Amino acid sequence: MSALAYFLEDEGVPTVAISLIRVQTEKVGNPRSLWVPFELGRPLGPPNDAAFQKNVLATALNLLTATPGPVFLEDYPLDDPTGVDLDSWGPPFALDALEIDLSDEALLQSVLANELRAITPSYQRFVAENRRTTFGVSGLNIDACAAYLAAYLSSPAPANPLPAVSPVQALRWAVDDVKAYYFEAVAAGPGMPSSRQAQGWFWDRTLAARIIIALRKLLLASGDNRTQAIGRMNLVPGVQAIRLGLT
Amino acid sequence: MVRLVDLPPATQNGMRNLDCPTFERKPFVSGPPLRERRIAVVTSAGLVRRGERPFVSGDVDYRVLPGDMPSDQILMTHVSVNFDRTGFQRDINVVHPLDRLRAMATEGVIGSVASTHYSFMGATDPRGMEANARAVAGLLKSDRVDGVLLTPV
Repeated sequence: MSALAYFLEDEGVPTVAISLIRVQTEKVGNPRSLWVPFELGRPLGPPNDAAFQKNVLATALNLLTATPGPVFLEDYPLDDPTGVDLDSWGPPFALDALEIDLSDEALLQSVLANELRAITPSYQRFVAENRRTTFGVSGLNIDACAAYLAAYLSSPAPANPLPAVSPVQALRWAVDDVKAYYFEAVAAGPGMPSSRQAQGWFWDRTLAARIIIALRKLLLASGDNRTQAIGRMNLVPGVQAIRLGLT
Repeated sequence: MVRLVDLPPATQNGMRNLDCPTFERKPFVSGPPLRERRIAVVTSAGLVRRGERPFVSGDVDYRVLPGDMPSDQILMTHVSVNFDRTGFQRDINVVHPLDRLRAMATEGVIGSVASTHYSFMGATDPRGMEANARAVAGLLKSDRVDGVLLTPV
C-alpha cells in the first residue's frame, strides 16, 4: 500500500494512505499516512457507522493539506467500538452434524446439504437487508461449491468445475464462497457477533469448517508445491490454525 | 480477527520483518484546499467486478472500479485469509468508502469524488506493480484527481 502511494505521488498525484501495519509504513516512508488501530481488514473501522468512518476519512484526507512533509505519519486516536465480543451473542443455528465420518462421501454430501439448508434463510435475510453479497468469487452456486469441497476429499478426484483454472485454484475459490455464505448467514442476527465470535462459531461449530480443515491436511500432503502453498496459506486463517492445533 | 499485536509471534515477526522497498527520492505534491479536491480510492484489497477474473497470488495488475458501479457488483479476491472480511461483508465502506466520500462531497468537506477508482492485490511485492501504478497515476490525472486515498486490508 505504502509503495503504491509512493509511485502515485512520484507521478504528481497527491496521496494519503491508511496504514494498518505501522512498521511497514515506517519502512517505506511514503508521503502521508494515517495509522489506524483497527483489526486487519477494516481500514475504515466499524461497519455501518457512517459518522465514525467519515471521521477517519476526514482525519486522513486533511493530511493532504498538511505541510510537514516529505514524510508524515499520524496515529488515529480512537479504537473501533465494535471490536469487542458481545456477551449476549449466541449462534442462531443449532448445527449438530460435526461427528460424521468424512470419508463417506454420500453421507458427507447429504449432511452438508442439510447444514446449508439450515443456514440459508439467514443468508437470504442478510442479502435482502444489505442488498449485496460477497458470495460469487468462483462463479458457482452454493450447492456446487459445497459439493466440490466434499467431493475433493474423496477418491477419485472430482471433475474440475472451473476448467479454466487448476482444480486446486477452483477449490480455493469455492472455499472462499462457502465461507462468505456462512459468515453472511451468521451476520443476519439476531445480534451482531464480533469478528472473533463469528470466526469461533464457524471454525468450531460447522461441518463446512471441518471439511475445509480436512482439505488443508490433504493439500499439505500433496507433492505439488502450489497445492501445498494453497493448503498452508489460503484455506484456514493462521490464527485459527494455531488455535485449533493444526499442523 | 485480530490486530497485528494479537497475531501469533511468528506471523507478527513475518510482517515486521517483511522486505519493504525504500526510496531515496521523497516526492511530496501539494494542491488546493481539501474542499476543492477531487478524491479517488486506490485499494490493495483485491477488489474486482463480479464475473471478472479474481486476483491470484503474485498478480501485479490492477482492476478498474467505476464510481457508479453498484456495490453488489464488487467482490473481494485478496489471496490472504489472515484478515477480517466480516466488516467488508456487512459494509463495503469499510474498505471502499465511496458512500462516505459522496456524503463528504455533499457536505462540502471535499470537492468531488472521482469517476473511477482502482484496485490492486496486496501481499505482492509492490516493486512489480510500479509500471501499473504509474499507469494508474496517468488515468487518475486524466480524471482530474488531486487526492488519492489508499486503503489496505
